[in-house]
Formats: sequence, structure tokens, C-alpha cells
Amino acid sequence: MRLAVVGLGALGARAARQLASTPGVTEILLAEPDVAKRDAIAEVLGPVATAVDWAVGDDLPGGVADCDAALLAGPSEFHVEQARRLVALRRPFVSTADARPAVQGLLDLDAEAAGFGLPAVVGAAFSPGLSCALARHGAGWFDAVDEVHVAWLGTGGPACAHQHHRNFAGSALEWHDGAWAQRPAGSGRELCWFPDPVGAADCYRGDQCEPLLLQPALEGVSRITARMAGTRRDRLLARLPMLRPPHPEGAVGALRVELRGRRSGGTDTVVLGAIDRPAVAGAAVAAVATVWAAEGRTRRAGVGGVAAQFEVLPFLSELARRGIRAAIFDGSSPAEPSVSSG
Amino acid sequence: MAQSRFTIMTLVRRALVALGAAAIVAAVLRLRGSGGVPPRDGGWRELSGPDLR
Repeated sequence: MRLAVVGLGALGARAARQLASTPGVTEILLAEPDVAKRDAIAEVLGPVATAVDWAVGDDLPGGVADCDAALLAGPSEFHVEQARRLVALRRPFVSTADARPAVQGLLDLDAEAAGFGLPAVVGAAFSPGLSCALARHGAGWFDAVDEVHVAWLGTGGPACAHQHHRNFAGSALEWHDGAWAQRPAGSGRELCWFPDPVGAADCYRGDQCEPLLLQPALEGVSRITARMAGTRRDRLLARLPMLRPPHPEGAVGALRVELRGRRSGGTDTVVLGAIDRPAVAGAAVAAVATVWAAEGRTRRAGVGGVAAQFEVLPFLSELARRGIRAAIFDGSSPAEPSVSSG
Repeated sequence: MAQSRFTIMTLVRRALVALGAAAIVAAVLRLRGSGGVPPRDGGWRELSGPDLR
């Protein structure tokens, strides 16, 4: 299996390492504008890695046309055009895009990709990505799911931190009673409990992609929301440029997915979560998605999120085998692990 | 007349200084303060076995 990784940031570099240790992967093309970084990663990965020239932008690196799948892990704003070129080349692709315009643009390629019988996955990272897999998995325990509420804490590399910063500006998209609704980003404070040792954090509406990706995968759900942890400073300064450059990589992050629905004749709530460094967990999600897309293990041709494209149980099992483990909240009062505070 | 005008201007200046100081203190508290954390029941456990079926 011949794969390409386009962009070697905090997530892309780790995804390349995950791919290099995956049986059946014979060659990985590494494309990164920072030549010294690219060559250093290629040296660490050994003979399976081949460094190729690529300047960041819409163009694809040479050799991608011969790959079984490409992982787009560079800046999100170029993913739509890169994906368009990959569709024209009839190459499966996986995108780690976490910006809503990019994710929407990629989903808009669905009909074209499906017409070629081409599998493609969008939002294959920590949030979105692992969050979508957990939501889909939890939904399987219900007779009918009414509400899905996702919360995310932490950031991966600098690109992720910039996106986190931008997510508090503008508006957040939510699915409400069969229609899309725009809410002010940074509003709707809710105290969310994440897996230990992260614990509780104030979360606010953010311009996140989960509602877009989960709505097609979870039919009949009346409400899908997404929040992310932030401080007052984050919300206050969201509309300004970042005042200082972000860290090379954030600390431990966490996910929380709350599902409300009906089962066994009554209403119930299930809370799933995960805790890891977002770039590490996101890299594992991206790597598994890339290998499965190359192997044609998607549920359908076309572009979709992790929840729509994969059987999530084997997907989560494979992630667990790679050390990315999910958690479930067992509470004496399971309907109240999250306390709204304003 | 001049004395009365001076008194009013002084009053306005002092009010503006007081409002400015209050705004600065409020901004510092708003940016640096943190909310309390209520108690909770239950706990997290790893998803395994029957949860992954």
C-alpha cells in the first residue's frame, strides 16, 4: 500500500509514524514545505518514507497520483482544492480539516466523489473525528437518539490552536428540530465534566464541525450541539489576532459526547469521553482512516465524516489497539453529569 | 459663577476617575477570576468488554 501524507505538523508527523508501523504499508510519501523537518521525519521513519518536494498551497506533491490514498494534514484552507484535484485523479483521500468552511466545501464534493465510486473521509482527527466515532458508537445503544452534545477541551499543534482561537468568533452551527440554527460563538456556557484527570471545565458554543458531520450519520436526531472549553480571555479576544504565537503543541486534551434518547421503554443518557493529547489521538484517527480508505473499508463511496464512513466499533477497537482509549461515565445520577451554569 | 463651574468640573473629573478605576478593577477580575466547581457523583471507566460490542 502506497500512501501520501501532505503536511507534517504536530498531527501529520505523528500520523506518518502511525502509518509507518501499519502492516501492509510499503511506502509513505512525505510532503512538507519545511524541508529540514520533512527530512528529519523521513530519517526517523526509515526506508518506508520517501520525501517529496511540495510548497504549501493548492497544488499536490508529485507522486500522489500513484498512491492508494492521500492524507491531507496541512492547513485546512487548502484542503478543498487539493481534494478536488484528488477526486479528478480518482484517488481516495482523508482530510483532517477542522474549519467549518473547509469541511463544508469537502462535503460538497460528495456527489462527484460518489460518482467515481471514490471513498473520502473528512474531519478525521480528534475533534472532529474521534468525537464523531464516539457519538455514533453511543447512538447504537439507543432505540432512538434525540440529542447529541459534544464538548472538546485542548488543542494540538499551532494550526489547531489558531482554529480554536477563531472558533470563538463568528457563529456556531447547531441542528435544532430538523433545521440548522446559528448561535453566537462563545455563548451558552455549560460546565462539562471530562474524563479524569481533566475534570470540569466551562464550555461555550464554538464554530465546530461536529453538527455538520454527525447530522447525516445520525438520522432522526433532533438536536446536535458542539461546545469547546475556553476562558473568558479566549472569548474576549477571539475577534483579534492571537497576541502571542501558540505553543508547538498543547497539553492533554479531552472529549465528552453526551447522548440522550430512548431505550428499553424509557429515556436515558449516555456520556462517552476520551482523554489524550489531541495531536496524538487525532493522528491515530487519521492514520486508521487513511489505511481503511485505501483498503476500501468505507461504508459508502463519497465524502463523509468518520461516523458516516466507517463501522465505528472495529474503528474504535483499532484505535484502542493503538493506545487511544475511550471512556464512559458511570454515575449514580447519569442524567446530571453536566451542570448548566448560565 | 466661576466658583460654581469649577466645583462642577471637579465633580465630573472625580466621577470619571472613579468610573475608570472601577472599570479597570472589573476588567482584571473578569479576566483573572475563576468560577467554583460543584461536587459530582459517579466516575469514568475505560470503555471495554461489553461496551465495545
